[in-house]
Amino acid sequence: MPAEADEPIDLEVLAPGPGPAAAPGFILSVRHLRVTFPTDDGLVRAVDDVSFDVAGNEVLGIVGESGSGKTVTAMALLGLLPKSAEVSGEILLGGQDILGLSEKSLQPLRGRRIAMVFQDALAALNPVHTVGAQIAEAITVHHDLPKDEVRDRVASLLDLVGIPNPRQRAGQYPHEYSGGMRQRAMIAMAIANDPEILIADEPTTALDVTIQAQVLDVLARIQERTASSILLITHDLGVVAGMADRVMVMYAGRQAEVGTVDDIFYGARHPYTLGLLASLARIDQGSKAERLYRIDGQPPSLIRVPDGCAFHPRCFRAVRPDPCATDRPDLVGAGADPAHLSACHFADELADVTAEQLREAMPR
Amino acid sequence: MDGESPVEPTVVHTRGISAAAGMELELLGAPEPAARTQWSLFSRRFLRHRMAVVSVFLLGLLLVACFGARWLAPYEQNQQDLLIGPVGPTAGHWFGTDELGRDQLTEIMFAGQISLRIGLAVAFIATLVGTLLGSLAGFFGRLPEQLLMRLTDLFLVVPAIAILAIAIKRFGNDSTTIVLVLAGLGWMYIARVVRGQVLSVKEKEFVDAARVSGDSSARIIVRHILPNVVGPILVNATLGIAAAIVTESTLSFLGFGVQPPTTSWGRMLSDARGTVGTDKAHLIYFPGLALLLTVLAVNFIGDGLRDAFDPQSKR
Amino acid sequence: MLTFVARRVIFSVPVLLVASFLLFAFVRGTFDPTDRLRQSRDPEAVQRARHELGLDKPVVVQYKDWLGGFVRGDWGESSRTQERVFPVIRRAFWNTLQLVVWGVLLSAVVAVGVGVFSAVRQYSLPDYLFTGLSFLGLAMPPFWFGLIAIQFLAVYPKDWFDLTSTPLYFVGLRSSTGGGVGDYARHLVLPVLTLTVQIIASWSRYQRASMLDALSADYVRTARAKGVPRRQVIFGHAFRNALIPLVTVMALDIGALFGGLVVTEQIFSIPGMGRLFIDSLVQGDANVLVVWTVITAAFVIAFNLLADVLYGILDPRIRY
Repeated sequence: MPAEADEPIDLEVLAPGPGPAAAPGFILSVRHLRVTFPTDDGLVRAVDDVSFDVAGNEVLGIVGESGSGKTVTAMALLGLLPKSAEVSGEILLGGQDILGLSEKSLQPLRGRRIAMVFQDALAALNPVHTVGAQIAEAITVHHDLPKDEVRDRVASLLDLVGIPNPRQRAGQYPHEYSGGMRQRAMIAMAIANDPEILIADEPTTALDVTIQAQVLDVLARIQERTASSILLITHDLGVVAGMADRVMVMYAGRQAEVGTVDDIFYGARHPYTLGLLASLARIDQGSKAERLYRIDGQPPSLIRVPDGCAFHPRCFRAVRPDPCATDRPDLVGAGADPAHLSACHFADELADVTAEQLREAMPR
Repeated sequence: MDGESPVEPTVVHTRGISAAAGMELELLGAPEPAARTQWSLFSRRFLRHRMAVVSVFLLGLLLVACFGARWLAPYEQNQQDLLIGPVGPTAGHWFGTDELGRDQLTEIMFAGQISLRIGLAVAFIATLVGTLLGSLAGFFGRLPEQLLMRLTDLFLVVPAIAILAIAIKRFGNDSTTIVLVLAGLGWMYIARVVRGQVLSVKEKEFVDAARVSGDSSARIIVRHILPNVVGPILVNATLGIAAAIVTESTLSFLGFGVQPPTTSWGRMLSDARGTVGTDKAHLIYFPGLALLLTVLAVNFIGDGLRDAFDPQSKR
Repeated sequence: MLTFVARRVIFSVPVLLVASFLLFAFVRGTFDPTDRLRQSRDPEAVQRARHELGLDKPVVVQYKDWLGGFVRGDWGESSRTQERVFPVIRRAFWNTLQLVVWGVLLSAVVAVGVGVFSAVRQYSLPDYLFTGLSFLGLAMPPFWFGLIAIQFLAVYPKDWFDLTSTPLYFVGLRSSTGGGVGDYARHLVLPVLTLTVQIIASWSRYQRASMLDALSADYVRTARAKGVPRRQVIFGHAFRNALIPLVTVMALDIGALFGGLVVTEQIFSIPGMGRLFIDSLVQGDANVLVVWTVITAAFVIAFNLLADVLYGILDPRIRY
């Protein structure tokens, strides 16, 4: 159902140059987001006080292991969490708090101002409808357009994401596409209405490395062209390094560190971030005898998150019991850039610690 | 009912599942705090199924009442009292009496012995045979499997009631024959289920691992495949009991099952058929209720077992 | 697709042949048409009759003869009524067909409605209610339900409300005095209800389960994320997928229905296939029995094929 039928529609599929929502300030602001799930074994604290902003025309990468809360955060933004989830905080889209809005109120926003690309494109696309029909649906639920215009638009979108023979391909079913093509089709579907912010949840995880590059390339091109923002969720630091402007590192449902991509990669101020960087296998370094770095221990159960800092049991710098096991560190400024934040009691001291040092310190 | 998936190691089941639920399970990736035995997990899940627990008691009661009829029934079996004739429920006769003045409660208890015995026996034999043939077919594949599949295909196209009725006519209608005839058709469904289960378990990595480390076929079957297949077998066996009871009653109702003087619930209903529309209709209610309660209880237990073995199946 | 259908049809023929042969042998072995003659004083009578009926030939030859006749349309003669078997079966089939058609229509509509509703409103009170009713329906022996239905929906209301006749009829499909649509309907209600109890219980559970699967699928989440309104998500996405397995189950069950109405027809005195079977069995009418079993098997096979074809049509991932 079209939301406002008389809204001016940009027929040129995606205009180059500054595109949507030239509102000043941030496209998206999240404040103190908390998500919990009741389960038989206890309360799962999936997201525990997360706050961040996304500006226009920027790519924010959210990095973390499975269970760090990054996907749940993304779902919360779109209101796609199961009914059993308890969500609190604020989610401000263009200044309006969309947390807690009813399904009906969220519908006009979803797929239009804020859109999402999911991880497993084969499962995320309906097997009994053609790809073209599904992309068309994304358009027609928000705009009332004549059929052939929609068809044209679908074809241009498919073309934009690099799918050959778009008109023909539009009539095919998802299982007839290759993995990379499916993912790109999902991207096409997500950007169909020129959203202000696009959330990409592990868009490349299910793909081969070579295909990954293609898909990321498409994302990058689109971002350049439309100047929309992207929230890129991944566990792969390499992906983030190539695409993100800023990075947010999550651990056990909490933020560990936030900063520009340079700050994070070259000036990390959190033991977890350093650990992640150190455990990146690198071709250019290390003699044959050097071991790979790994962070001790396992991520904690989100039902029984450790007291104080969630990372302290595995931390090389932790001072127990006080303060690391008793006081949860706040996310505060660290380093030169005021926007570089870290949740560690010893963030300042970590200025001189590098990932290389951690690696060297591993016993051979 | 399709074969269920094999038992997965500990997965916590959460309520309120809707569209975005898949990731809930991802959240709980961390290991469990304390190790629990399979048995305690299983019984905990079963006990959560209230109807199943109630049904266990109910079924127990029924079994005791029927098989203990000799001592528990208020009257003797077949004890006629022609002076009373057919009356509805009274204080002296809770379920009323029939034309010959026989107390219905007593008759139902004794008839239950036959119905239950046949049901249990059929399920037992069918499960045994079906499991054996199904696992052989599933495990060894090729010729045994093809034989099984073609054979069961053949029998599944013909209406069961017809085959059963003709077979009973041919081979006789004493209880033992009836049991064998019903089991003779009943094993096929279980065999197919077991074959399917064995096939799916065979594909799993731990079987390959066992093979690679040199376990013999027999050992693989017993130690790896059977434990994962036990669940669906038990569930289907339980539901098979209910199915067998209903089939026997249906056949007896139509006149093809047990013959007098042997009586079963189905037989009692067959005799009572003519009372529809008369004031003797109570003769229909109680045997039918006995049947209904028994089948309901068995079904609930089967459902509880299914939940206990595979917590991921949706209710 | 056409080749698939053709291939399956051709493959079904040997199955049907083998099945019919086994059934033929089975029935022949069970019923001896010369039974009655055994008491006659003429010792040659049995011998002669056997020769006349071709019973002294080996089974396979008998079968061949029978098959030849069957294919030509000569289905033999009923030993019970001396009619040709073909019209006997045709009559019975027509009556059963009516029950099947109305029963399926009712079952499909109710089961799909209940199933979808229960899935969409999972764990609500109506859902629990329907679940409970399904359990009851599945556990209820159909023949008992039929009797109870007659008692409480026909006999008792007549007494309670002091009517001239029972509101619903329970003998046959039409009154002997003729009657229009109303009369027909009043005859249909109870038998159709009886035969649908188990079917509705089973189909609605199935629909609920498959709908729940569909609703929790990733593509439903995607649809919501696109801003698709709820109703369209449920029907355009989830239901469309949930329908696929249900349709195949329905086709299989319908196929089995043609031979499965024995109890219902017996209780309501409807002269259909089920009743025909019982009468023939009791009287030992072998000719009818053989044809009966072959016809019903053929229907099961045909509907099995239909189930596969429908699956192929509805699910674009399956392309033969």
